[in-house]
Amino acid sequence: MSRYLAPDNLAEAVAIRAQGARIVAGGTDLMISLRQARLEGQPQPELILDVTRIPELNRLELGAERPFLGAAVTFRRLKTDPEVARVYPLLAKAASMVGSVQVRQTGTIGGNAANSSPAADGVSAITALGAVALLASPRGQRELPLSELITAPNKNLLAADELIMGFWLDRLPDGAGQAFSKVGRRQAVAIARLNVAAAIAPELREVRLSVGACFPSPRRLTLVEELVMAGQPGPELWRQAGRAAATNFTDVCGWRSSAAYKVEAIARVTARTLATAWAKAGGAA
Amino acid sequence: MTLDFTLNGQPVSLEGVPAAESLLDLLRHRLDLKGTKEGCGVGECGACSVLLDGKVVDSCLTPAWKAAGREVTTIEGLARDGQLHPLQESFLSAGAVQCGFCTPGMILSAQSLLSDNPDPSDEEIKIALAGNVCRCTGYHDIVLAVRRGARALRGEAPEADES
Ligand SMILES: Cc1cc2nc3c(=O)[nH]c(=O)nc-3n(C[C@H](O)[C@H](O)[C@H](O)COP(=O)(O)OP(=O)(O)OC[C@H]3O[C@@H](n4cnc5c(N)ncnc54)[C@H](O)[C@@H]3O)c2cc1C
Ligand code: FES
Ligand code: FES
Repeated sequence: MSRYLAPDNLAEAVAIRAQGARIVAGGTDLMISLRQARLEGQPQPELILDVTRIPELNRLELGAERPFLGAAVTFRRLKTDPEVARVYPLLAKAASMVGSVQVRQTGTIGGNAANSSPAADGVSAITALGAVALLASPRGQRELPLSELITAPNKNLLAADELIMGFWLDRLPDGAGQAFSKVGRRQAVAIARLNVAAAIAPELREVRLSVGACFPSPRRLTLVEELVMAGQPGPELWRQAGRAAATNFTDVCGWRSSAAYKVEAIARVTARTLATAWAKAGGAA
Repeated sequence: MTLDFTLNGQPVSLEGVPAAESLLDLLRHRLDLKGTKEGCGVGECGACSVLLDGKVVDSCLTPAWKAAGREVTTIEGLARDGQLHPLQESFLSAGAVQCGFCTPGMILSAQSLLSDNPDPSDEEIKIALAGNVCRCTGYHDIVLAVRRGARALRGEAPEADES
């Protein structure tokens, strides 16, 4: 007889995971893969660990010296929590653009990361915020930058006995402007074809730019960040940064004719997102 | 292990529910409640929407065991004492029901919205229903139905010039 366990403490969860349990948080990705496996006649998991009742994974401490975002925090909470809107509006915006009400109700940031889709909107947003994953296993806890945890489309370095507790995030400088944009196939319930997260501090003291869905995993474009920091804020700089981001894409992914649309979109959406972030930082457009 | 939860106000206790079973399969196949529809099976159509502790979820994406100790409401649970729920009334009166396949999900999504926000704008209604697909009606009559149902639930008289 298969078992579904939803412990309310971390120690128990780690012990269950170590027995080879499949993890479920919201289920919005997992239930689809289980359905697919069933249709293909493959076996269903014998042991499922529901991580949503573990207190540490539900922590949301954004005002802390080292802000922490628990893995089981849902997109609904990220979309509606006033502290998220105040400290990380780009994350609130990204969450509001995920799926549907139903998907946001149960879908979590930890599931978004562990599923490791190149198009993951939450991952793209917290990558811009310097997310470092906190992982737990019977061997103890370890930290790994999210950009290193996710290695390729739907691939990551999570060990078979590990679970994600949450993410440490960087504190942004006072007054930093933030923006998040997403291009999907249609308005609702659309997987991103492109998403861009940007944060800019006043006087260009700090610039953060992450781009997802067009790379194997969402990533910071540090060369573009440096280019912006060294420039004169204004439309020309945003355009230049957009072109640099597009070049970065062709360098990583190669140029295929199918990419022509993407190259154009990356340039345009990156420029627009940087301009919005700058305006929110109080800069003149 | 026994799966205990409250379904439409009644306690339910089930043995032998597999760990990977969806709430949709549990409702439709184990409990024979066919009001919850199976459309896409992958979170895209909302036909399988139910309320879990009052909030709308896609039951096809929800493990059945998530219901443990909680309250599940399906479309069968909305009518009280033989009286249709105000949203059921308004969907009928607004002509928002054609084939009816999407209707249970639409009504439960609308109910979830109205429990958070009793007086939503049309835009808020559209966002709340974005995860529910209707192949028959334009969404116009559905939005109208939700507006009407909202007024009824607030105890207000119907508006004269509805469009
Ligand atoms: C209709 C639809 C629309 C969607 N739209 C979007 C969208 O717009 N943007 C977007 O980014 N995504 C979207 N998604 C994908 C999905 O909703 C997200 O990836 C979501 O964040 C997954 O979270 P979850 O809690 O539901 O994960 P689950 O399905 O519970 O888990 C996903 C995977 O992560 C693992 N896992 C979960 N939590 C942990 C943890 N704490 N530690 C270790 N492993 C863990 C699970 O074992 C599983 O492999 C959509 C999905 C659907 C069905
Ligand atoms: S059947 Fe669940 S969303 Fe379509
Ligand atoms: S009435 Fe037929 S799908 Fe909506």
